[in-house]
Amino acid sequence: MRRQLAALAAGALLVTASACGSSDDSGAPDPGSSSGGTTTVKLGLIPIVDVAPVYLGQKKGFYSKRGLRLDISTAAGGAAIVPGVASGQFQFGFSNVTSLLIAQSSGVPVQAVSNGIASTGVQGKDFAAIAVKKGSSIKSAKDLEGKKVAINTLKNINESAVRESVRKAGGDPDKVTFVELAFDQMPAALDGGQVDAACAVEPALATIKSQGGQVVASPLVDVAKDTTVALYFTSTRYRQQNADVVKKFQEATAESLAYADAHPDEARAIITTYTKIPASVLAQVTLPKWPAEPNKASIEALAKLGENDGFFKKTPDVDALLP
Amino acid sequence: MRLQNAALGAAGFAAFLALGEAVPRLGLVKEEYFPPTSRIARALADELSDGTFWTALGDTLTGWALGLAIAASAGIVIGVIVSVVPYLREATASTIEFLRPIPSVALIPLAVLLYGSELRSVLLLVVYASFWQVLIQTLYGVQDVDPVADETARSYGLGAWARIRYVLWPTALPYVMTGVRLAAAVALILAITGELVIGAPGLGARIAVAQNSQAVPEMYALIVVTGVLGLLINVGARTVERRALAWHQSVRGEVAV
Repeated sequence: MRRQLAALAAGALLVTASACGSSDDSGAPDPGSSSGGTTTVKLGLIPIVDVAPVYLGQKKGFYSKRGLRLDISTAAGGAAIVPGVASGQFQFGFSNVTSLLIAQSSGVPVQAVSNGIASTGVQGKDFAAIAVKKGSSIKSAKDLEGKKVAINTLKNINESAVRESVRKAGGDPDKVTFVELAFDQMPAALDGGQVDAACAVEPALATIKSQGGQVVASPLVDVAKDTTVALYFTSTRYRQQNADVVKKFQEATAESLAYADAHPDEARAIITTYTKIPASVLAQVTLPKWPAEPNKASIEALAKLGENDGFFKKTPDVDALLP
Repeated sequence: MRLQNAALGAAGFAAFLALGEAVPRLGLVKEEYFPPTSRIARALADELSDGTFWTALGDTLTGWALGLAIAASAGIVIGVIVSVVPYLREATASTIEFLRPIPSVALIPLAVLLYGSELRSVLLLVVYASFWQVLIQTLYGVQDVDPVADETARSYGLGAWARIRYVLWPTALPYVMTGVRLAAAVALILAITGELVIGAPGLGARIAVAQNSQAVPEMYALIVVTGVLGLLINVGARTVERRALAWHQSVRGEVAV
């Protein structure tokens, strides 16, 4: 028994030592380990349709030909990515515009480096929609007054967008009750009548549509023409210290975005490699737009909406956030 | 007796599976949101034939085993030291009672800030949650030492180490084993929760991807895997406990003296 105990204790010490041993280099931003002219950068992504261009660009060699090797970590939600980038765990991350504006206005040193995704800009044919169940009495965003609407995160981009849709339709957004619900639970909640409408994105939207659900409004289209919805970003410190790596990442991502936008079939195919979206659903999915450059006017519109809705501690500086 | 128990357990499980098949088939819930057992079984078979599934399973088990080993060793060592050294128990009691109820999941932002979405952030959660189980049980176990036995050992001139070894440890071991068994289950729950929320590689992250992808049968198949894993861990922990305590009255049963 004594020997067993000793072995156990020794094992624990070893494990603790090895677990702590490499932690000193994790506090400071990792300058990217380079070997033979290749720099490895860690990228924090959410495993969703939106980030297909990066996977496609990686496969096409747009990153490797610039000497970048992507080490992709997937986080379940954007909430893990912003602190991850700010603390230097990831060199680059993917997040929606409002989250980045919120981070920036609360003094988190993040900076956008490249466009992420944009809305398709077409009413009724966007990757995000306010949807209702078959046969609902809600016909327009104005009818949402006094109703329960599901959104994935309260006080974030989708609340801004839905409020704007209601406003544009002549309604009062303050009369809408917002309920926080994960996208994947929206089809069932809508079907079961727990909520009257849901602001869903793909692939949940495709599921809702397949059950006869109706699109009432395209909130991201209501925000601005061709709204920039999400961006790739880094920390201000990393950008200052590794300007060349950031530049390479920007170029490679711009090329990937343009390629994915021009080859939607290849983009759809790559989605099956990192998600489990069933083929039947994927065929119905509306892809977002992937322009190479962010649309500044739409980001200013989101900043203004967020400010009206009281999301920010102080007015965010859009110029400082953008590349 | 044991055979009968196993038969009853199997029958209960079969009834549960049949219910899972019938409820969606009868239209009580929609098949899209709660697929029948047979559909989940097919998704499970697909998962088992996929190499990346086994990598994810390995990642989860690594996080669980490492976390549990660290928490159990730390819990035992600190538990014994705190109880043996006079005044240390009083000095730490309020701190322990303050830290213990903090849910490990609340530490997720801290874990991400420190370690990103890596194994180490999962380890932080697992160790934090399971450490208290072992520590508290160790403290109780040490308190349970018979003062007469301890005084006897003292009067026979046994040193501190010998008293820990021959008096304290045999008394505390059943408690410690209970703590480790509880910690094993908690560690699994936290490993999977951590992966699910943070996205560190493992079964939890795979469940999150299936959820985001509207792949409902695959999601339930993975949830079944985590259930089976929990069951195996519990059975394993009980076996270890029985072996380690083979000499103890609770396992050995009463014998006529």
